[in-house]
Amino acid sequence: MSAPDRMVLVHRPADDDDEEQFKPLAWGLIRRLFTYSAPVRTKVRRLTVLTIIRSIQLPALTAVVAFVIKGPITRHDQAGLILGVLGYVALALTTDGLFHFRQRYALEIGETVVNGLRADIFARMQRQPMSFFHRMKLGRIISRVTSDVEALRAAMQDVLFVSVVQFGQMLFTAAVMLWTDWVMFLVVLAMAPVLALVNNHFRMKLSVLSRASQESFSRVTATLAESVNGIRVTQGFVRQDTNAGLFRRLLADHSDYNVALGRASAILSPLLELNSQFFVAILLLVGGWRVFHGAMEVGDLIVFFLLSNVFFAPFAIIGNQYNQALIAMAGAERVFHLLDTPPDWEDAPDACPLPHPVRTAAAVEFRQVSFGYNPAQPVLHDLNFKVEPGQSVALVGHTGSGKSSIINLVAKFYLPDRGEVLIDGREIRTLTSLSLHRQMGIVPQQNFLFGGTVLDNIRLSLPEASEEQVRAAAAQLDCLDLLEALPRGLRTEVGERGAGLSLGQRQLICFARALLADPRIVILDEATSSVDALTEDRLQRALVLLLRGRTSFIVAHRLSTIRQADQVLVLDQGRIIERGTHRDLLAAAGHYAALYQQFVRVEEG
Amino acid sequence: MSKPMSASAAAGPSNGALIRRLFGLAWRYRLRCLGVLGIQLVLLTMGILGLSFTGIGIDYILHKLNGTPLAPNRLHLRLPEAWPPMHVLAMLAGLIMALALCRGVLNYIYGVQLNILVQRHIVVDLRGEAYEKLQRLSFRFYDANTTGSIITRVTSDVQNVRMFVDQVLIQSLIMVISLTVYVIYMASLSPGLTVACLATTPVLWTMAAAFSRRIQPEYARNRSLVEKMVQILSESIQGIAVTKGFGREAENRAQFDAANDAILIQQHSIFWQVSLFSPAVGFLTRINMMVLLAYGGWLVIHGGLALGAGLVVFAGLLDQFSGQVNNVANIVNSAQQSLIGARRVFEILDAPVEVRTHPDAIRRPRLEGAVRFENVSFTYRGPSLGTADAAAELSAVAAARAEDRVLRDIELEVKPGQCVAILGATGAGKSVLMGLIPRFYDVTGGRLLVDGVDVRHLHLDDLRRNIGLVFQESFLFSNTVAANIAFGHPAATMAQIERAARIAAAHDFILRLPKGYDTILGESGNGLSGGQRQRLAIARAVLLEPAILLLDDPTAAIDSETEHEIFEALDRAIAGRTTFIVAHRLSTLRRADRIIVMAHGRIIQQGTHAELMQVPGPYLHVARLQLLDGSELQPPAAASA
Repeated sequence: MSAPDRMVLVHRPADDDDEEQFKPLAWGLIRRLFTYSAPVRTKVRRLTVLTIIRSIQLPALTAVVAFVIKGPITRHDQAGLILGVLGYVALALTTDGLFHFRQRYALEIGETVVNGLRADIFARMQRQPMSFFHRMKLGRIISRVTSDVEALRAAMQDVLFVSVVQFGQMLFTAAVMLWTDWVMFLVVLAMAPVLALVNNHFRMKLSVLSRASQESFSRVTATLAESVNGIRVTQGFVRQDTNAGLFRRLLADHSDYNVALGRASAILSPLLELNSQFFVAILLLVGGWRVFHGAMEVGDLIVFFLLSNVFFAPFAIIGNQYNQALIAMAGAERVFHLLDTPPDWEDAPDACPLPHPVRTAAAVEFRQVSFGYNPAQPVLHDLNFKVEPGQSVALVGHTGSGKSSIINLVAKFYLPDRGEVLIDGREIRTLTSLSLHRQMGIVPQQNFLFGGTVLDNIRLSLPEASEEQVRAAAAQLDCLDLLEALPRGLRTEVGERGAGLSLGQRQLICFARALLADPRIVILDEATSSVDALTEDRLQRALVLLLRGRTSFIVAHRLSTIRQADQVLVLDQGRIIERGTHRDLLAAAGHYAALYQQFVRVEEG
Repeated sequence: MSKPMSASAAAGPSNGALIRRLFGLAWRYRLRCLGVLGIQLVLLTMGILGLSFTGIGIDYILHKLNGTPLAPNRLHLRLPEAWPPMHVLAMLAGLIMALALCRGVLNYIYGVQLNILVQRHIVVDLRGEAYEKLQRLSFRFYDANTTGSIITRVTSDVQNVRMFVDQVLIQSLIMVISLTVYVIYMASLSPGLTVACLATTPVLWTMAAAFSRRIQPEYARNRSLVEKMVQILSESIQGIAVTKGFGREAENRAQFDAANDAILIQQHSIFWQVSLFSPAVGFLTRINMMVLLAYGGWLVIHGGLALGAGLVVFAGLLDQFSGQVNNVANIVNSAQQSLIGARRVFEILDAPVEVRTHPDAIRRPRLEGAVRFENVSFTYRGPSLGTADAAAELSAVAAARAEDRVLRDIELEVKPGQCVAILGATGAGKSVLMGLIPRFYDVTGGRLLVDGVDVRHLHLDDLRRNIGLVFQESFLFSNTVAANIAFGHPAATMAQIERAARIAAAHDFILRLPKGYDTILGESGNGLSGGQRQRLAIARAVLLEPAILLLDDPTAAIDSETEHEIFEALDRAIAGRTTFIVAHRLSTLRRADRIIVMAHGRIIQQGTHAELMQVPGPYLHVARLQLLDGSELQPPAAASA
């Protein structure tokens, strides 16, 4: 049954459970990433040169120290010592001087790539039609723009350049060691594979654990988000303590993952250090033996002692960078997949803007239109109707009868599978979406407000409108006083998605927004359902006046709002089963009349 | 997007106060911290020993080779002269390996212990506390802060705070200890050389401090720019239908590009500073090496210092030392981030809980449900968080949340079991009136009495457990149906849950769900209709059989289709309980024992349906509108009968 304890850790499949963490290196992706650094191309070239130089400078510094010790100091050569020191200083100056550029260029390149990727993702995504947004989860897109792009930044600015420096360092050091004493060098070389193997083994293990930890973390975040969104319910039902207890358990669970991860990573660096120390011991033994038998000088021992660290350190670093690269590849694949998704459809290349004669309404016609969100399951069958300019059409029917689909077609959010939708006699496919939308005003069912003030939101439909124009629009809707009654009037901040306002207030703003731009087509989708009766009444009267001279589509369940419509289309399962005016349909005592009966019963009790 | 809570460094607690507070936080875990530090100390000693052995080994080789006198070493280790040289070397090598193995094991233990301290204790404790606090904060706090900002505080900001303990505090202590030990050892080898080599260190630290002061505000600004960009993105996607519908894609994109580019520009400024600081620090450490070479070399040449046990060991120590000193830059960086994070986390922990239980609160586990408003008035006060300008922002947003700001002269007496319907236009004060009863807000004038006791004197939990709530938009958690219904009473039995579901006319449709009561809500595929969700909310509200029921326009967000489904549920839920219901429909209004009509925060009409129908006023107006609908159904032929 439902024991309270069982209610805790619901494992919801995380948004990206099916997303890979690693992908092998792919040159195509890497090249493509580099195209985003085009604005800073010269810096990329300079940086490449700088990294090569630096890869020589760093080991050179240590080598100089080693050779000064081995040479002048052991030989008690003061003059040589001074020369050596001066050489060191000069080298240090150039190394650190150039490092400024190396670091700055890398950071700037990384940021440029990130900036370009984000802009591109946003632009391409915006071009997608509505169907894209209905199937794509918000969380996924955000994770592309934030964490995936950040992984790519790390790859661009670090991986390549750091790896080059490290490799160079290894090579240079190897060369010096080889030149100093090739037998000892072979001993050094023998230790390398061990190091590489150890690195490899732990790298993979760490990645797997790290992934598990991230998933656990997203569960924590999701629960937290829910708590924040549901705070009223929590406080109203005195659920604070229970929730806190549940959350603590979730946290404890999450910490287990992190501890496991910590354990695994705590092994790696001690092992690497052990390797170095082992080498030192061997150095003493083998080197000492060779020195005693005259095959090597003591100074050479010192050289190896100092340089061996410089040789071994890159292993871990390169291993790490490789890891980063793999993660970045997976991220790159996802990002480019998003960028490359072609829009389901776009405006035809030869589409023309819809002509906009001033102060006239548009004519809309559906000719044998069939449509389905999934083409195999049509929701509209062979629809035919005509709306004269200035007429208001009410769409009535049960949920799923096709009302919203008709609206989506009129608004060119979707294209019909068969048949034609005509605006002012022109097929909708030949018209540009932009021009059509600029002449339309939609009040959707789910009112959505952007963060900002009331004024900003109303002005969305016509950014160049002055405040007077906005007031005038609100006044025409007979709701100006309601908006001005807000704490800061029109300048009130609406809060995140309008959370600072009641449902009714949000809806009023949506109305004002829709009508500000003087649209030729108005679409009201269940627009007054969240407004109280008194306000609704005011709004209705105002709308009657406002909708004159505009073609309007009204989807309503509140049949009181459609009494005034010029035409009522009664829909059932994607077909028009009755049409006429409200009075005619009542008199006909058919489907519509039955619906109306039911409505009145609900209203009056 | 205003972010009132992340005040700049100028306002709010100073860095010093924050640091003191963070120390206080660390003090809570002092035993574990000390344990971890202890391990480090041992590790340090071993490291130095190992290094010394190497140095001794080199000198020994020199001694055996050139006959140079074996300099006395710090460890006072006397190498047996009688042994063959290779045996001595083997012994030294063996010692080095043994030490290395011990170090390896200890290092592992250190890593694990540190991790446990951090992840299992500090982070869990901090997050748990922040969460608990969050649960108790008033609605005003939630109105004034975006969801994203709150979540970030509990997740990444807490990580930044714990960063203070392990990456700032512990690392600093390790650094101090290591440096002390190194300096002592180096000084014992050659004081003069030690001083010479470390001369640049104070300069380095001053530079690091100056740098951090400059860069902290920049990092903070960067964070908020990134947050803003993400918010614009998120809004753009959620509101894409609106953007497209009005043909405003270009403006939307311009907005995003502006936010994106702002980040780029600000980052460049940060990059310049960072890339000037790092090389400077690097160069300063190399100066140390230069001094070592020059002066140390001179000393060796003139016999003041051994080559192996002296210079080479010194070089090794200096290398370690520089590593630690360079760590300063990282420590400073981490300190910056943790201060920013700390400020934000402490804002939550410190936020005042505005509505709380009075210490001498009366306990009344079961209430009768008599409610009385005595000359009640209510005004939004500016909230008491943050700085002056933040408060101004907050009050505007927060005040706008309730439909209204003000209630005036509310006099109302409701007997147990009565049903009161509230009618009023948008902004009339309905929601706030209801919100006063469970003390979501406290009255600012007059008294509100439940069962004859001022609600402020009742124990808060008792009060709220006796009130069942259904809001306009039902919020259900992504858990099982049963868990949702039992939300207010997790220990409820299945029988109780089912009974509540039956009252709410939900039992039947629940059984039809894939897994019945164990179906998990909130995932795609379990899309319940508005009416079904609201019925679950009603079940949730009546589970504890509360004496009082508050229904804030429960059918508002439901399409008319399914509206009638919940009327049966509402009727059953209301029976026998004191009910306040915001309603517009005649059907509901007619059934209420009393109707109050509100406008501009006042009750302008009161009475039963019959009484109010006699009086010209807003009620009659609304009633007429709805009756008009019904009148059209009269068959036109009726007159001929």
